[in-house]
Parts: sequence; structure tokens; C-alpha cells
Amino acid sequence: MSDLTNQDAKAIIENQIETLKKRNKEPEWMTKLRYKAMKTFFEAPHNDPIIKNPLKFVVKSTEEVYPEIKSLDDLPPEMRSLLDRLGIAEVEKKYVAGIAVQSDTSIVLNEFLKTWREKGLIMESMEDAVRKYPALKDKFMGLFNPAESKLAAYHTAVWNGGVFLHVKSGLKVPVPMHLFFLIQNSAMAQAPHIIIDAEPQSEIHLIEGCTSPVLVRHSLHLDMTEAYIGNDARVKLSVLQNWPEYVHTRPMTRAVVGKNAEFINTTVGLGTGKSNVSNPKYFVQDGGYAELNSIILGQKDFYVDLGGEIHLQGAKSHGLNVSKSVIMDRSHVITRSVIQANAPKTKGHISCDALILSPKANMETYPGLISSVDDSELSHEAAIGKIKEEELFYLMSRGLKEEEATQLIVKGFVDPLLKDIPTEFVIEIRKIIELAVSGGM
Amino acid sequence: MNNILLIRNLHVAVENGNSKKEIIKGLNLEGHGGEIHLVMGPNGSGKSTLALSIMGHPRYGILDGEIKFENEKINHLSPDERAKRGIFLAFQHPEEVEGVRIIDYLRMLVEKVRKIDRKESYDFVVARAKEVWFREEDLNRYINVGFSGGERKRFEILQAMLLDPKLVILDEPDSGADVDSLSLISLKLREMRESGKGILLITHYGRILQHIEKKRIKVHIMRDGKIVMSGGEELVDRIEKEGFAKIFEECGCNE
Ligand SMILES: Nc1ncnc2c1ncn2[C@@H]1O[C@H](COP(=O)(O)OP(=O)(O)OP(=O)(O)O)[C@@H](O)[C@H]1O
Ligand SMILES: [Mg+2]
Repeated sequence: MSDLTNQDAKAIIENQIETLKKRNKEPEWMTKLRYKAMKTFFEAPHNDPIIKNPLKFVVKSTEEVYPEIKSLDDLPPEMRSLLDRLGIAEVEKKYVAGIAVQSDTSIVLNEFLKTWREKGLIMESMEDAVRKYPALKDKFMGLFNPAESKLAAYHTAVWNGGVFLHVKSGLKVPVPMHLFFLIQNSAMAQAPHIIIDAEPQSEIHLIEGCTSPVLVRHSLHLDMTEAYIGNDARVKLSVLQNWPEYVHTRPMTRAVVGKNAEFINTTVGLGTGKSNVSNPKYFVQDGGYAELNSIILGQKDFYVDLGGEIHLQGAKSHGLNVSKSVIMDRSHVITRSVIQANAPKTKGHISCDALILSPKANMETYPGLISSVDDSELSHEAAIGKIKEEELFYLMSRGLKEEEATQLIVKGFVDPLLKDIPTEFVIEIRKIIELAVSGGM
Repeated sequence: MNNILLIRNLHVAVENGNSKKEIIKGLNLEGHGGEIHLVMGPNGSGKSTLALSIMGHPRYGILDGEIKFENEKINHLSPDERAKRGIFLAFQHPEEVEGVRIIDYLRMLVEKVRKIDRKESYDFVVARAKEVWFREEDLNRYINVGFSGGERKRFEILQAMLLDPKLVILDEPDSGADVDSLSLISLKLREMRESGKGILLITHYGRILQHIEKKRIKVHIMRDGKIVMSGGEELVDRIEKEGFAKIFEECGCNE
């Protein structure tokens, strides 16, 4: 496959575009966008520390067919048990909340979503949304340009799956919405596209779980998220990732945070993927607030290069970028957070902490503060270190084994960043950390 | 009566990078259940080092001598093994453990170490916490993070109560505690002694003894890594009145 020529790749991509166009009954503007992106794919710059030749990931369609999924009961057993482990069934019982499990092109809706739809909450598969809402034309790829990189172009050409979330002006959704990606159709590249459109004064919390250990047939995951946070809106986006060892992920995220709006984005990366390179960007207007929290669990040979730019564009806007990395085995984690102040009376803070549990693991952190005004307050702090001997001794002196004490300290290290994650998930996250720590010891 | 703690000719050095410095220099001590042994001595005389060595701190290496707990040598046991056998240390400077909620931690302790059922551990912890003035909501805080001096001392006592050890070592449980906390801690010490525990109490002041029967108290004075004088409760008064310098001069301990 590595011998794919540009010509071969073009043929494969064209074929996929045609398939998607027919399958989704796409409007013309979308098909045009795809073809335009395909052209730029071959010229666009490519700069990735791990993936040297993106052509390697342009894969041919296969003819496997999966059964259609209408409700949670139709899920493949491994997916069901995963959701059970994550306590999803529990969550649903408890809050009667919205779970939308997405399988390629259809969203499994439950009662909650149906009720809220009448009040102005739209949660649609991106394919349906593109067909139903012509206005999406302005939002789709509104924050990205396919020509900026090969991966962005490839995503645009072959995107499939993903959701459109629209919250009507003033609508406040009181419980978190859960969205799980179930990517089954191996004919397609894994490139879901997500648009969050929160109108002024609205409130919502979206929990995205990307995890499908058995179903993943591809080794590159290229999702793209565009978030439009209206003035005075409050949006939380919590992303839980649990990738299998062979997966490279290149999430692309951008958000515009309106006046006096708030956007809190927390990403918890728990799997031992192969590599994860991303550079989310947030543009914050007057009085707005953007918070980017990341928990990284580096295991095995996982290579993580996490950027994160917060652009304080409006007066009195505010940004916070916090990362906590736990590094084990031979993993390599790099964090490069940037806060750029372009307006008066802005404030920004970067905090990068890393706990190193293995002498072979590697951590680099490069906080960047850029200011073009003279009255912004920007600061950063970074701490990389091992577990403190005194802390370990304190806990062991109470009868906890070294392993138990270490687990407790590691869980405690990440705990402050889990404040917005529902308890059921926090419990599962803690279990994953315990296992990882034991495995690494 | 069986020894709960027997220390013979103990030499301990602290390791800092490549250098080793001897701090405990041939110390002997013997104690039984139901007794309270006070260790007093000037700052830097090695009291905390003694306590930490009994607990098995990895930084304090035993050069010579032995520490026996219930007639068994424990020199080479890890701290958690010592704890499981029934040794407890209330620290002079308790560590902060960021991100670990007290309630989760204490439940884990009583479940793992004392084998209390998961269903009962919550009520068990909360009830005992109340005895030392921690409210239920306080238990959602992180271990020692942002605690006042007195709160830290009460939290150490709480852990001793929950783990129910046989030997309780307390390193200045009175420093930083206000008058009422002091009285509470003294009462708890009395309860522990009455239930047959051995107590090794490091302190600078006699006030912590207010609720304890005088005849149960033995006092040891440390100077430069050794116990240079032992006696009854009356030694405490003498120290408070005269100070260490004078006592050391009179006993010829300054050789
Ligand atoms: N980790 C260490 N590194 C270097 N020196 C140490 C260390 N621990 C103890 N010491 C030294 O050993 C000596 C005894 O210290 P220790 O803390 O045992 O005294 P102490 O009797 O408890 O004093 P205080 O009454 O002030 O609590 C001191 O000189 C101290 O500086
Ligand atoms: Mg001391």
C-alpha cells in the first residue's frame, strides 16, 4: 500500500466521494467542496512528526457490510459491553438523559432527544444535517481551510460520520449529552466531522466518547470539530478517547467563543494509541472565556504532540490551558500550549504538569505566551517530576502497598481536571489509570 | 510482659545524594502495651529521625543495631508491612496529597488494612471523623491540602483511630493545636493507652499529658542521637522549668 501513486490515491478518493455523494444524497455544494479538497490534497503542505507519507493511509474500499443499528440492543456485543463498562446504561436510567450512539450515518435517538428536539435541540448525523440544513454551508469548514494541510484536505474530501449539534438561542440543556462514535463501515476513512452551534445564551454539555477497540479497521483517525459558541452561551465539551494501540489520531478542533461566552473543553486520552498529534485553536471575543484541559496517559510507545492555541481577540477575554500528563513505559509526550493576547485587559494562564513513572519515558513542554498589547496578564507554570518520596512514604506508612499508593497519587494528580466529567465516567477513568499504573510497575 | 517495641544499639544515617550523615548514634528503648513513653529533647536531637526509622522511611538507613516489634526484627520490612503489623506514625509534618479525597482514602485504608466491608466503610469513617471534629463535608477535601496546623494533627489522630494499631508513635501531635484540640488529642491518647496500645510520644511540652495518668508515663531525654536520661513524669516539669542545657550540664551529658 505504501507504493500508492498520486494517481492511485486520486482514483480511490474520487471513488469514495462518488460513493458518499450517492449514499448521502448530498447537496451539490458538499460534493463540490469534496472535489476541491481532493485537488488541494496533492498540493497542500504536510508536516507531521510521525506520518511521513499520508498516501499510506488512503485506503481502498472493501465490500464488508454491517447490519443496521436502530437501538442500543442492535449494537455488536463488544460495543454493548463497552458501553456497559462505561456505565452508559446506568447514566441513562439515572438521568433519562440523551445518549446518541452514532453508527456511520444514523443516530440512535432516545426519548430524551425527541422531547428536547421540540424545544430547539438538534442532534443529527452530519450526513442528514448537510442534506436538511442549507445554512450549514457557511459553517461547514468555516473555521478550517482544506488547503492548510494535507490531512485537513483529505478529511474534507472523504469526511463521513460525525454530528451536527444545534442549540437554540436561550435553550439550556440541564444534563450532559453522550455521544459515542461507532465507526463500523470499513469502506471509509475514519473522518467524522462535528459541528457544535450554540446560539446566544444557550447552555449544553456534550460528552464525546471515541472508542471502538474491535471495530476499528483503519489505523488513522482524522476527526474535525468546529464549535461556534454564541454570545453569552456556555458550552462544555468533554472528550474521552480510548484508542487501540495501532491507531494514529489527528483530531482537529477549532472554536469561536462569542462575547461573554464560555467554552470548557476537556480531553481525556486514556488509550495507548500509536500517536496523537493535534493543535486545537480557540478564538475568544470580548469578555469570553476558553478553557482547555487535557489529561494524557502515555503508555507503551504512545507518541503525543499536543498543541493548543488560545487567541484572546476581544477585550477582557480570558484563557486557561491546563495539561496533566502521566508518562509510563517508553511513551513520549510533548505539550506546546500557546496563549496569544491581542486585545486589552486580557488574561491567560498555562499550566503543564507531568508525572514521570518510567525512566524510559520522555516529556517535553514548551509553553508560549505572546502579547501584542501592554495590559494583558499572561503567565505559565510547568512541573515535570517523579512521584515524591515523602508522599509515597506517607501513604505506605498507613499500610498501602507501593502499587496502591502510586495508583492513589496518580489518580489524585489528574483528579482536579475531572470536575466536569460525570461520576460514572470518572469511576471508569480511575479504573483505567489503576490498570495502567499496575501494568507499568 | 511482652515487648511491643525493643530497640537495641540503633545507629541510623540519613542519605542525601552521595553523602551519609549519622543521626541516631546507639539508641536503646523498650516499651510495652499500655505504656506511654515520652521522648523529649532539643531541636535536632534526632527525635523525628527515630520515629521515621521505626516506620521504615527509605531515606533513613540502619547502620547497626535492631528494631524489634513484638519480639520480631523489623529492620528490613517495608513501611506498609510495618503498618500492617500494627505500627502507626502520626507525622510531625503530614504530607499533602493533591487530588486524593479524604473520604476515598480513608475508606480504602479501612477496607484494605482493616478488612471492613465496603458497605460499612463510609459510616465507619464518618462516625470516627466526627469524634475528632471533622464534618462529613470536610472529608471531600484533599489529604492535608490547605489544612491548618491543628487540622493536620487531628487528621493524624483520626487515621490512628481508624487503623487501630498496636504501637502508636506520635511526633509532636501538640504542635500547632489550640487549647481545645490539645485536650481532645490528650483524651484520645488516653483512650488508646487504655485499650492496651503502646504509645511513643514525641513532644516539647507537658500539656499534652493533661488527661493521662501520671504513673503510666515514662520520659526519655534525647541528646545528639542517644537517650541520655530516663525517668518518670517529674522529668517533664524539670525540663519545662530548667531547660535542656542545664539538665545536660548537671548530669554530665555534655561530654
Ligand atoms: N532528610 C534529612 N536530610 C538532612 N538532614 C537531616 C534529614 N533528616 C534529619 N536531618 C538532620 O538530623 C538531625 C535530627 O533531625 P530530627 O528531625 O530528627 O530532629 P528532631 O529532634 O525531631 O527536631 P525537632 O524538635 O526540631 O523536631 C537534624 O540536624 C536534621 O537537620
Ligand atoms: Mg522533629
